[in-house]
Amino acid sequence: MTRIRAVTVEIAWQLGRRRRSLMLWAIGLTAVAAIYVPLYPSIGGEQMQALVDSLPAEMTAALGYDRLGSAAGYLTATVFGLLGPALMLVFGIGLGARTVAGEEEAGELELAAAAPVRRDDLLAGRVIALHTQIAALAVVTFAASALLSASVGLDVSVGGIAAASLGLNLLVIAFATITLAAGAVSGRRGVALAVGAATAVAAFVADAVAGMLDDGAVIEALSPFSWYLASDPVVNGVPLTAYARLGVVTLIAWAVAHDRFRRRDLGV
Amino acid sequence: MTTAITVEGLVKDYGSFRALDGIDLAVERGEVFGFIGPNGAGKSTTIRILLDLLRPTAGDVRVLGEDPATGGPALRARLGYLPGELILSGTATGRQLLTHHAAVRGGRGRDRIAPLAERFLLDLDRPVRALSKGNKQKIGVVQALMHRPDLALLDEPTSGLDPLLQQEFLALVREERDAGTTVFLSSHVLSEIEGVADRVALIRDGRIVVVDDVAALRAAAGQRLDVTFSGDVPLQALEGVEELQVDGLHARGIWRGDTTRLIATLHGLPIARLELRDRDLEELVLDAYRTEGTA
Repeated sequence: MTRIRAVTVEIAWQLGRRRRSLMLWAIGLTAVAAIYVPLYPSIGGEQMQALVDSLPAEMTAALGYDRLGSAAGYLTATVFGLLGPALMLVFGIGLGARTVAGEEEAGELELAAAAPVRRDDLLAGRVIALHTQIAALAVVTFAASALLSASVGLDVSVGGIAAASLGLNLLVIAFATITLAAGAVSGRRGVALAVGAATAVAAFVADAVAGMLDDGAVIEALSPFSWYLASDPVVNGVPLTAYARLGVVTLIAWAVAHDRFRRRDLGV
Repeated sequence: MTTAITVEGLVKDYGSFRALDGIDLAVERGEVFGFIGPNGAGKSTTIRILLDLLRPTAGDVRVLGEDPATGGPALRARLGYLPGELILSGTATGRQLLTHHAAVRGGRGRDRIAPLAERFLLDLDRPVRALSKGNKQKIGVVQALMHRPDLALLDEPTSGLDPLLQQEFLALVREERDAGTTVFLSSHVLSEIEGVADRVALIRDGRIVVVDDVAALRAAAGQRLDVTFSGDVPLQALEGVEELQVDGLHARGIWRGDTTRLIATLHGLPIARLELRDRDLEELVLDAYRTEGTA
């Protein structure tokens, strides 16, 4: 059996067995868009701006609510800045931890690793399946946001929503891959979850702190969350360099996962 | 033709704990080889090294002539494996799971899924997570043997199977052996596999204490004799009984000789009660230890 076929079989198996769970997450993300987007025409604009102005400036900056005055800013602060990434990170980090370390600890990886498949191919199939599922949820987020925005007449471009969705996809893939790598290196689901969650929260907090500072550029340069959203992709489109950095983080984590997973004892 | 398994001086450390302390094994092609030892003796560790799930600390390992660490998928394609602790979860059905395992092997074994399932009365359309331990074990057995591997590594295969299915499983193992598969199976109970194993190795605390064919092992182990007389204990009749203990009318000990001769000697004596039974595994292992200690 060729290696490509081995990887393909693994991807198909992983996707098949997670179909139902993925469907539920897609419904959840659609619900987030469906709750927030239609609210804007009734409470948005000047009224919202007045509310934001009455809150402490540091707080609104930290939450990204200083942007709520425009439709694009509203979409960025709610769907793309808070609940979208929160839900997708929970999904991505959870699945990233389970995909290798969780199954290894449970003893489920045993048969897969004893099969006539290279460990590299087994891991690659699982990483690609993880990325595919995250991408599917990003596509759902994009479609729900774009359709709902158009139906309630929000003044945002489809291209802007697509840019932000792409960034969300890359952000979550980066942290999910970091999580998976921590699990592939350690074989411990708890370690994987801790590493994934800690890095994601640190990135989010750093981005929020950067927003409060007069000169937060240094922090923004270091936080993957800032790479994703600081340039306002809903308004300005894809920030090539920043998104490329997210991709590089993913590739580094992926390489680290392979390097250790192919050599170490499994299930000890 | 190369041996099925050759292991020399195999050592495996987990941190400061030595799980295997210099194991030597030679399993010939075409035999059923039993690997017997209590839980924690190192059976699973050995098997998992043969599959390259673990890497040895020291020693030389050859599986079908190849080093598992470099044999890769081509070597594992010729192996079948039943894990000691088989974990199956998820919503996939038995059929989907087994079909997947066949797909991983390029489709080999797919045609045997249905007949083997029928033989073991296995419902292939239920989700595996809803199956009982015994039914999961059946899935594991089918998975390990369906592609007719050159070497099947079965870790505690009979656990979870009821006695009837154990017999069916052992019959299957014999058939697979006759069809050319070498079978290496572990158990903590010798009696579960002695009907099928040609030879066995006893392992304890990471060391092989004895390797022999089952009949010789049984003969060497002897039987435990327990006899109550209705008159005085005729000591001369009990000559040859080892570790003899007499307590009133009751005598007990170990009999290693010919059973016919023992019965002939006892014939005509006033016996109230007689018991003669095979000694259990723990006793065999202790014996082997003693022999090794004095050798």
